[in-house]
Amino acid sequence: MTAFDELMIRYERQIYRVCYRFVENREDAMDLAQEVFIKAFEHLPTFRQESSLKTWLYRIAMNHCINHVKKHSQEFVEVTEYTSSVRASAHAQMEEREQREHLRRMVKHLPPKQKAILELRINEQLSYEEIAKISGRSVSTIKASVFFALGKLRKLVKDPRIQKIRRV
Amino acid sequence: MFGHLKAQEFLNLMEGAELPAERKLHLDGCARCTATLTSMLSVHGGVTSLDADIPEPDWAEFRSSVRDRLLSRAAQRSSAVRRWTGWPIRPAAAWALSLVVAVGITTAAFLWNMERMQTTVVEPPRPQPPAIELNDVEAMSLGWSKTSLFDDLIQLNDAQAEQVRAMLESPQKGTQYHQ
Repeated sequence: MTAFDELMIRYERQIYRVCYRFVENREDAMDLAQEVFIKAFEHLPTFRQESSLKTWLYRIAMNHCINHVKKHSQEFVEVTEYTSSVRASAHAQMEEREQREHLRRMVKHLPPKQKAILELRINEQLSYEEIAKISGRSVSTIKASVFFALGKLRKLVKDPRIQKIRRV
Repeated sequence: MFGHLKAQEFLNLMEGAELPAERKLHLDGCARCTATLTSMLSVHGGVTSLDADIPEPDWAEFRSSVRDRLLSRAAQRSSAVRRWTGWPIRPAAAWALSLVVAVGITTAAFLWNMERMQTTVVEPPRPQPPAIELNDVEAMSLGWSKTSLFDDLIQLNDAQAEQVRAMLESPQKGTQYHQ
């Protein structure tokens, strides 16, 4: 097995998942994840081993995804648009699925950096120290960021405008 | 340590850590903190559950696609380099090279010629300091005699000239002159 295959097999799933959470689309996530690996392979000679390979890869992925979101921010669905789509899906068979969809859309409204930190902590289960290294911030800032992201989601989910329409 | 729970404490609770006894006591008795924790836990759980919906791609295809894109980028880079060294640039390169050679040959020839001219050129006679004409007074002041020995001889009468000649010739003949 080549070094290329070994690196890919070890990290492809994690990097793809991070990318997926930003774009919520299989094709786009694959595209983003591939670009992350291409960037990594092209810059591998400059990797100074000050951090682990995993941290380095996550950092590339996070920056790449944040840039992608910033570049395509106008393409994301606004809250007002979302409400109409919720109305359309009001007759969905599964309430749970609808709630998840609702939460996913709310996560999209988080600032990209806050969202990235939340994903890395909750879904990737990276330690606060690892996330601090990836994002170049202090551990206390990361902890505060996770808490405020959850608090913001809590407020968004409780938003009476959205709640009212969801019940229609 | 008093008052409502802080962000750090909420986070620790959500991630399964235990609170100190007095803080736990506060949580049990505080409706606000309990409500906050419940809703935060709900959101935390909801975000965690989102992970389950992620569709898995075909990993072999994913890998081969990364490999192909890397190869194609490498090929693009090398073709870009070749573009700068390829056919379109060759006439210009040939022209530049011939210009360099022409300039080089001209310069070398010029330098060689200069060197040759420098070696064959006869040095112009150095300007001699003008002959100093001293009058008698100046010559006397310098302690020089304006007239040469020959002139002195000329001014001698015959007897004196004969005596001087004898003085000059005496060492050659092995005789010693006594005045």
